Amino acid sequence: MSTAATGPAPAIALTHVSKTYQGGVRALDDVSLTVARGTFLAVMGPSGSGKSTLMHCAAGLDVPSEGSVAIDGHEIGRLNETRRTELRRERVGFVFQSYNLVPSLSVADNVTLPLRLAGRAPDRDWVTTLVERVGLAGRLAHRPTELSGGQQQRAAIVRALVARPAVVFADEPTGALDLRTAHEVLDLLRDLVDELGQTVVMVTHDPGAAARAHRALVMADGRVVDTLDKPGAAELADRLVTLGRN
Amino acid sequence: MLRLAADMARRRISALSAVACAVLGGAALITGTGVLAESGLRSHLPAGRLGGVDVVVAADQTYRPAGDLPIALPERGRVPADLVGRLADVPGVTAAVGDLGFPAALVDAEGRVVPTEDPGTAGHGWASTGLVEDPRVDGAPPTGAGEVALDADLAAAANVRVGDRVPVVVAGEPAAHRVTALVDTPGAGILFADPTAAELAAGVSPDRAGTVDLIGLRAEPGRAAEVADAVRDTVDDAGLTVVEGADRGDLAAPGAAASRSLLVLLAGSLAGVILLVTGFAMAGALAVSVAGQRRELALMRAVGATPRQIRHLAATQATVIAAMAAVPGIALGYPLAELLRAELADRGVLPEALPLAVGPLPALATVLLVGLVVQLSARGAAWRTSRMPATEAVAESRVEPRTPSRARTGAGLLVIAAATTLSVAPLLSRSAIGAAGTSLAGIVGAIGLAMAGPALVRRASETLAGRLRPGVSAPTWLAAANVRGYALRLAGVVSTLAMAVAFVLTYVLAQTTVLAATDDDVETGTLAQHRLTAPALGGLPPDVLPAVRATPGVRAAVPLTTTTVIWTYRMFGEPEVETSSALVLDRDAPAVLDLDVRSGSLADLTGDTVAVSEDAARTRGAEPGDRIELVLGDGTPVRPTVVAVYDRGLGFGPVAVSRDLAAGHTTTGLDQSLLVRTDDDPAAGPALAELVGDRPGLALEATALDTGGEAPPEVWLNLAVIVVLLGYLLLSIANKLVATTAQRRSEIAALRLIGTTPRQIRAMMRREAALITVAALATGLALAAVPLALLGQGFLGRPWPAGPPWLLPATALTVAAIAFLTTELPTRRALRTPPAEALAGRE
Repeated sequence: MSTAATGPAPAIALTHVSKTYQGGVRALDDVSLTVARGTFLAVMGPSGSGKSTLMHCAAGLDVPSEGSVAIDGHEIGRLNETRRTELRRERVGFVFQSYNLVPSLSVADNVTLPLRLAGRAPDRDWVTTLVERVGLAGRLAHRPTELSGGQQQRAAIVRALVARPAVVFADEPTGALDLRTAHEVLDLLRDLVDELGQTVVMVTHDPGAAARAHRALVMADGRVVDTLDKPGAAELADRLVTLGRN
Repeated sequence: MLRLAADMARRRISALSAVACAVLGGAALITGTGVLAESGLRSHLPAGRLGGVDVVVAADQTYRPAGDLPIALPERGRVPADLVGRLADVPGVTAAVGDLGFPAALVDAEGRVVPTEDPGTAGHGWASTGLVEDPRVDGAPPTGAGEVALDADLAAAANVRVGDRVPVVVAGEPAAHRVTALVDTPGAGILFADPTAAELAAGVSPDRAGTVDLIGLRAEPGRAAEVADAVRDTVDDAGLTVVEGADRGDLAAPGAAASRSLLVLLAGSLAGVILLVTGFAMAGALAVSVAGQRRELALMRAVGATPRQIRHLAATQATVIAAMAAVPGIALGYPLAELLRAELADRGVLPEALPLAVGPLPALATVLLVGLVVQLSARGAAWRTSRMPATEAVAESRVEPRTPSRARTGAGLLVIAAATTLSVAPLLSRSAIGAAGTSLAGIVGAIGLAMAGPALVRRASETLAGRLRPGVSAPTWLAAANVRGYALRLAGVVSTLAMAVAFVLTYVLAQTTVLAATDDDVETGTLAQHRLTAPALGGLPPDVLPAVRATPGVRAAVPLTTTTVIWTYRMFGEPEVETSSALVLDRDAPAVLDLDVRSGSLADLTGDTVAVSEDAARTRGAEPGDRIELVLGDGTPVRPTVVAVYDRGLGFGPVAVSRDLAAGHTTTGLDQSLLVRTDDDPAAGPALAELVGDRPGLALEATALDTGGEAPPEVWLNLAVIVVLLGYLLLSIANKLVATTAQRRSEIAALRLIGTTPRQIRAMMRREAALITVAALATGLALAAVPLALLGQGFLGRPWPAGPPWLLPATALTVAAIAFLTTELPTRRALRTPPAEALAGRE
């Protein structure tokens, strides 16, 4: 289930990864996966198929029960929580369905927070570029509560990119947005990959969203059951429906 | 609605256990106070010596002011002796016994006085054996002046048998008596032939001739009530009271029965602070609990719940928890009251024999009060969420930063202003009541702070954040941002801790300052170096005074007794009644006491006169030459003339009555103590010691010792209450802080997801705790500063209070420890959950 890597260190490499939760629930079952740099991968599947667990393990939020995970060439299995956090801070960006902006901070403070936490000075040009690119230039002094959902998600995307991570994980990034805004956010993610060479892994159950990716994985029962290159929305929807029948 | 509330409750254990703890402790404290109050009104001493009689006739030992609670009178009023014969003729009466009690004490072979329960009334006539059905007499009744019968326990303690000759001190005068009989009845005392007893009683106080203390009647079986009614008709009021059943014990020892009313006073003075503190704690816990539930409540609004239903839901849930916690709390209140009673009895403030009245009333009152507080605070806490448009409520529930409402801030500032007004009390009245204003001001101020706090915290933190150096570490910067962004949440925490600070400082220092000022009054006002007392004899023998005055080196010796008086006066046109202890002084008093007389002269303190303190004179309008209305300790109303106004009222009480006025109106008729001034003449000490050594039962002490001794019972009690309340307050604060921190799990998880290390999270939380500590101490101190400065000015004439120097550092340490522990522990727990899981659990 792996594709050929485009460089010496792929953005993400999972080798025979399994995850068993307390109580014996096997959320991931021997998954191997490599995500090449500069690609946009969508992970699909019905609820309980293991797509969230896959993302948590691949992003270093959780450690697998078996197998190994390497982020940007760094094996995370032997790292403690603090080391993993630092690795994530340096090399992984996150975009969540619920944005998870810090409500007490302004947009400007929110987007530069990861750098501040890492003790690094923000690259002003890079921040300005990102902010202008996502169209938040006039909103930097606002609090997250003063922004619309789409604006908050765009701020979250800037925050995810500000440390120039190896990979950005997006967990249902359009789940809380209306159709039009969702489109804009997806366009933005795709543009980031195409224009800036950013790697993006997006977990979604929306075939329309997954169709914007270079490649889509379909998961069921903890395994990757299908991989589709340049997927079409109809094709993906079809595939999901067939899964439901099995 | 109930099931829904229960379901929602199950998932928020931490916040709800804070509510439960606050309610449990609060219910226990309120119930305990209630039990004390009820006991003060309704408990009865055991009948004791009067257990064998069915009906007791005695002087009415209760003063009943119009529109106020009845006051028990401590000094024995008398009953005409001829009534005994008349009552014996009432149909149904099988025996009528007139009982006399006068000071008497037995001296053992080593010259020590054998202790009795009440030496002031240990002497009785032989007739009193008739009060019990079967007195179990071993021997013959005493007949002449030189004979006595003894209580068997007393005889055993002194190792005395029938036929022995023993020294008995009667009315202070020792004489040898032959023991004719032992009487095996508890508390029988020392029994004399009836004519001798009457003579001895009259010898102590001429007013007692032709009187008895009480009349005990034995009735034919089953006719007690009927006899009591018949006796009431016969007696026809005349200032007498006729009782049967449980009330008899109260007439056996009026002094002990009167101390019961102390319980009412205690409960009254405790009730205010206890209600405020418990109400504050319960409301605070509920505010945290409902705040943690805002999202759920908002979602319910979105699915169609009306604002009323939301408030009802919040209130129902709070009430269910409160009800579950209140049951053990109330049950705990009764033993708590018993614990306090035992302590008070140990300290001699209450008679050991006085039981608590255990009834359902305190529990009922607690249920009502706690229910009211819980309903109001839960509804209040849910008010904002319930009133918002549903969509807005959901949106707002996601994020904390909210603008504190103007009305809330304004009301809080008003409350703080009111508290400051309260704190002026010590300047107006230099008394314990004035000092109580200080304690109240601290607590009320803290409540105002809880309301105005969010706006103040926000303003302060904005200033702080603005001054933050740009290069500070990420955790510090985040902590500052949180303090600013979460002003409401933080203000709740800060104001609770500040309340603890203000409460401890004002309450403790009010006590210690009054104590210091009182000590100072007594110390500067007492010119005598020695105090001579005879507690085991029931009073000082009359011949001690001339003997002491004749002792070499003695400059002056003046008897000093305290009694109780009730002062009735009008304030703002309303009748007021004030019970207080009163010195019994004669015109020689200035030789041993300097009361700092401001106008008039103590030299005029003879006959129908009193001296009053400056404080009382001012508030009750009593200037020299005025007549005031007093009720003496035995219920006699008098209208003495004020002849002097003195300044040291704190140390010596609001009123001093002349010796002539008090004569015949005290139970024993003997002086309680003698103040002896020697001016450190070296000859005086040994000479006085020799005098005391020669006479059994006398005790000599230095007056200076008195001030350094144990704290007076009311101060001790107040300090004990502080400890209990503080424990309760700290527990509820800790609970509240833990609950507050626990509710930040998702915030912590979100921070971790974007790359905050656990270490940075902990550092951030610690910095917040540090900010909280500093803010709580600063505001607590600020709240306490004005009341304490006014207290010091009023009592000590300097703008700071008196108290232990360790108090402030200890308070600061405690606040810091609580702030740090209650943030650190829940934070560590939150960090153990993987962040993705913590966030997933929220939705």
